[in-house]
Amino acid sequence: MPSASPDSLDRRVKWGLLLASLATVALLIYSVLAECVWPQWRMLRAQYAQILKAKATDDRGRALAEQFEATIQQNVLPALHTVDRCITCHPAVDDPRMAGEKQPFRTHPGDFLRLHQPDTYGCTACHAGQGRATEQAAAHGDVEFWPSPMIPARYAYAGCGSCHTHVLVPSQAVLRRGRDAIARYGCLACHTLDGGGVKLPGVAGAAGPDLSQVGATGYDAGWYEKHVARAANADGGNGPSLRPIGEPARADLSRFLASRVGAPSLVEAKALFHSLGCRGCHKVNGVGGKEGPDLSRVGEKDPGRMDFTHVPGEPTLANWLAEHFRRPAAVVPGSQMPVLGLTEEQIDGLTLYMLSLRHSSIPETYQPKDRIRAERFGEREFATDGETLYSTFCAACHGASGQGMRYPGLPVSPAIASPDFLAVAADAFIAHTVQHGRPGRRMPAWGEKEGGLRPQEIQAIVAYLRSMSGLAAPEPDRQPARWVKGDTTAGNSLFATYCASCHGATGQGAEGPALNNTVLLASASDTYLTETIRRGRRGTVMAGFEKPSTVHPALTPSEIESIVSYIRTWETP
Amino acid sequence: MSDSGMGAFWANLKALPRTFLGSFVRHGAPTSHRARSQSVFSNVFLHIHATRVHPHSLRLTTTWGLGVSLVAQFLILTVTGILLMVYYNPGLDQAYASMKDIHYVVPAGRLIRNIHRWAAHMMVFCVILHMTRVFYTSAYKAPREFNWVLGMGLFVLTLALSFSGYLLPWDQLAYWAIVIGANIAASPNEVIHAIGLPEAFNIGDIVRRILLGANHVGQDALLRFYLLHVIVLPIAMVFIIAAHIWRIRKDGGLARPGGTPSPAGKGAGSMTPAAQPPSAAPSKTYGLMCLVKGRSPCTGQDPDETVPAWPALLRAELFVFMLNMLICLVLGVFFDAPLREIANPGVPENPAKAPWYFLGLQEMVSYSALIGGVVVPTLAVIGLALIPYLDREAEPAGLWFSGARGKVVTFWSMVVGAILAVLSVAIPVNYGWLRNWFPDIPQLVIIAINPGSLVTLAYMAWSLIVIARTKSTRLGAVALFSCFLVGFVILTYVGTYLRGPNWDFYWRQSDWPIH
Repeated sequence: MPSASPDSLDRRVKWGLLLASLATVALLIYSVLAECVWPQWRMLRAQYAQILKAKATDDRGRALAEQFEATIQQNVLPALHTVDRCITCHPAVDDPRMAGEKQPFRTHPGDFLRLHQPDTYGCTACHAGQGRATEQAAAHGDVEFWPSPMIPARYAYAGCGSCHTHVLVPSQAVLRRGRDAIARYGCLACHTLDGGGVKLPGVAGAAGPDLSQVGATGYDAGWYEKHVARAANADGGNGPSLRPIGEPARADLSRFLASRVGAPSLVEAKALFHSLGCRGCHKVNGVGGKEGPDLSRVGEKDPGRMDFTHVPGEPTLANWLAEHFRRPAAVVPGSQMPVLGLTEEQIDGLTLYMLSLRHSSIPETYQPKDRIRAERFGEREFATDGETLYSTFCAACHGASGQGMRYPGLPVSPAIASPDFLAVAADAFIAHTVQHGRPGRRMPAWGEKEGGLRPQEIQAIVAYLRSMSGLAAPEPDRQPARWVKGDTTAGNSLFATYCASCHGATGQGAEGPALNNTVLLASASDTYLTETIRRGRRGTVMAGFEKPSTVHPALTPSEIESIVSYIRTWETP
Repeated sequence: MSDSGMGAFWANLKALPRTFLGSFVRHGAPTSHRARSQSVFSNVFLHIHATRVHPHSLRLTTTWGLGVSLVAQFLILTVTGILLMVYYNPGLDQAYASMKDIHYVVPAGRLIRNIHRWAAHMMVFCVILHMTRVFYTSAYKAPREFNWVLGMGLFVLTLALSFSGYLLPWDQLAYWAIVIGANIAASPNEVIHAIGLPEAFNIGDIVRRILLGANHVGQDALLRFYLLHVIVLPIAMVFIIAAHIWRIRKDGGLARPGGTPSPAGKGAGSMTPAAQPPSAAPSKTYGLMCLVKGRSPCTGQDPDETVPAWPALLRAELFVFMLNMLICLVLGVFFDAPLREIANPGVPENPAKAPWYFLGLQEMVSYSALIGGVVVPTLAVIGLALIPYLDREAEPAGLWFSGARGKVVTFWSMVVGAILAVLSVAIPVNYGWLRNWFPDIPQLVIIAINPGSLVTLAYMAWSLIVIARTKSTRLGAVALFSCFLVGFVILTYVGTYLRGPNWDFYWRQSDWPIH
């Protein structure tokens, strides 16, 4: 190695020291500028100060503009464990003068901040995102390692789901009837609703109260009688006018009004979820089938931990969900979820509802009434009329009108609204089947411990099934449950000849349903079985054996009884 | 009297700057050699240096400035660490939030945290390089054996400091690294289970409970690691650093070959073996002290071979310090220290990787936490610490690789070490390991016989072969050290870049499965 003389070495050290020190000073100056001059939030606040100055018309406005500082503003909320610095760049959220400005300087739309003051709730409680961050991408959560990015603005109502549990949301059909009734009876002549209607004195001269949030705030149950009384007392068209409203329409109206909680699009989305029968396979907050994943907190999923290989566009949870509704098996290889053939509008609604399935841990004092009603008092998220219950839990497999469904690759689901079925199935049999399900088949048990439905809800579903067919329940069976005493040997050969091709040689089921199912055999009475064989099921391959067909002769009652006796031999395996 | 009293007061007041300075430095401007020596000698902070140093010690290739770099990094870490302590809160529900606040709103907080993180990485890196330098220049030899042991202590402390700081952000990375660390601490359980002793003998559980304060990583663990990180380990570090540097002087300054050519060219080219045995070195220090005091019991060494420590050495040290400052600042300004999601015991990181300097061990831990996480590292540290006692060959200190033979041994040992390390990864990745070949063998066998333990044994065997062939313990030590060094580098590389979820082998990170 070349041995430098101490002097030349010392000279090099001196130069090195000088250069290193200068570079250090330069970097320190750079980092001071980067922190104190260049940050985006400082520039935004300077911009906003100009806007404030321009908008100031009186002394107070000018004083406010004068006091406006280029410092970080924050809402510190120890109770929620959050610190939200959003108002640093969005300083105008509570200043109504800025309604016409562009983001980030716009006033918060709607009257949400009246009910949820930013200094009590902050911003991220509803919008998600990273409240502590002071850079746009990080604050909006569009960065690595922040599991809860902001909810996109078009799905903003999903944020309500963090704390609220909207209860008793009916199906879309029920909701639509309520909305139709509102229109038909001219309620909006005096009332406002979801931003529509008139605020001016109505045709009758008096402005009615806003109905947008009556589901949350409550309303007078005797409203109809009072309207009628006032209409009677009114003289010459100065008082409220009211056409008589029939009982069914009033029921529709009350279900509709109960759903008006100030989040119309979210309620609409939830109603859609309650119309497509998704809960037939998916649990939400403890109620639903177990075939698919539990969706109770699906809106909290961290996009950073999801597979976006097959999802076009931005890697956001909303995009993933929407694409998954379009092509479930393509997004999640091996998924059993069928393609539901949804419209883009429906997909948008379901995505909104999925995003709303989140659950913040919030202190007692923050718990909204609806969440307490749902979690403490056991109130349902779905309306408990038979129609809504059927469309919420049954429609996906049995069809919107009970016509049965057949998804590619899945076994056929029975047409339970078939008049042939309803004519022979007693209410108790249907209720028993709903409660205990069919082990081994897709039909899950819906009892309180399994699917989570209560007995009266199951009764409501049975009643609704009856009303769908328009048939009364069959005459009560005077026979005991087991009265058939046929010849099992003869039954065996008859079964092999006429039944095995569809139900399988040992009744294990193939094209037709399995008959060796012990739960079926336990709950089905002999009358039910003989009658089903005799009548068949219209609309399915199961023909009635009472009459001859091209492929089989008519069977005598004793032959049918022999088959039933043979089937009964599978009851004890 | 009052007049002269006032006059004296006035005169004293005017002289105050001069008298105050004079009382502080106690000697004149460091313009003469004598004054320079005095300024070093009479200053409590500077007297840790010799007053005069040999130019050989100042040369870049002698030390590469690594020891001073480590002091610089320790100082930077101390200062930034104290600043971070002002804002950091070691409470379970506050820790992560305070990290975010430090990042986003504390003035210069982001920069200070970044510098702290990068300086910590640099310190681990430099402590390894420093050890490597000291080893290859045989600077551990008598009389410096014990200083080498102290250095091993500092090495372990550096790793412990770095690892204890790892938990404090309370993010996913931190949480799962400590979970793994705690499981390694509990790994003696493996043996207890394998030989079928009852639960009460689970020493590992006890160790883990001492470390975590609970059975799981939680508030108690956070507080314990915080105390370790900010009080216990740094204080231990300061004391050992002081002893380590003090001993450098007491053991005769930096190791250098005897008869190193003097700067003026006097005796140039005479890289001959030591004219004096190393044991003469302390007497030289003594002689210099006497020289400073004005007497001159010359110990047979020409004082002109040396140069005053002030300013040559101090300036060189300052340069190294500023260079470290600059590197930390560049990294800190342009690269943010990582901070993942908040710790979530319900969502395991896969793969959960330890900090980079432990990934070589984690590679072995994937077979047996006990062997890879406890036995091999303990043996390695003890083995390293014992090197100066097992290799006592007297030879010129301060010569890289002990000359030409040493270079050859180093080269071939690195080749052997690399091949064995690569095999220890390649064979299990391609052909599986004992459990795949003999599904029924007892767990104890798997614990004992795994790639980590086999490679360690092979390295030891290679070193013994070298000793036998070269008849030199020094070359045997060179062989062992070179093997471990290259094995460490290769396994660290594999652990960092080639291991994915479930510790499976992947050539590229883009091949990792997403779920």
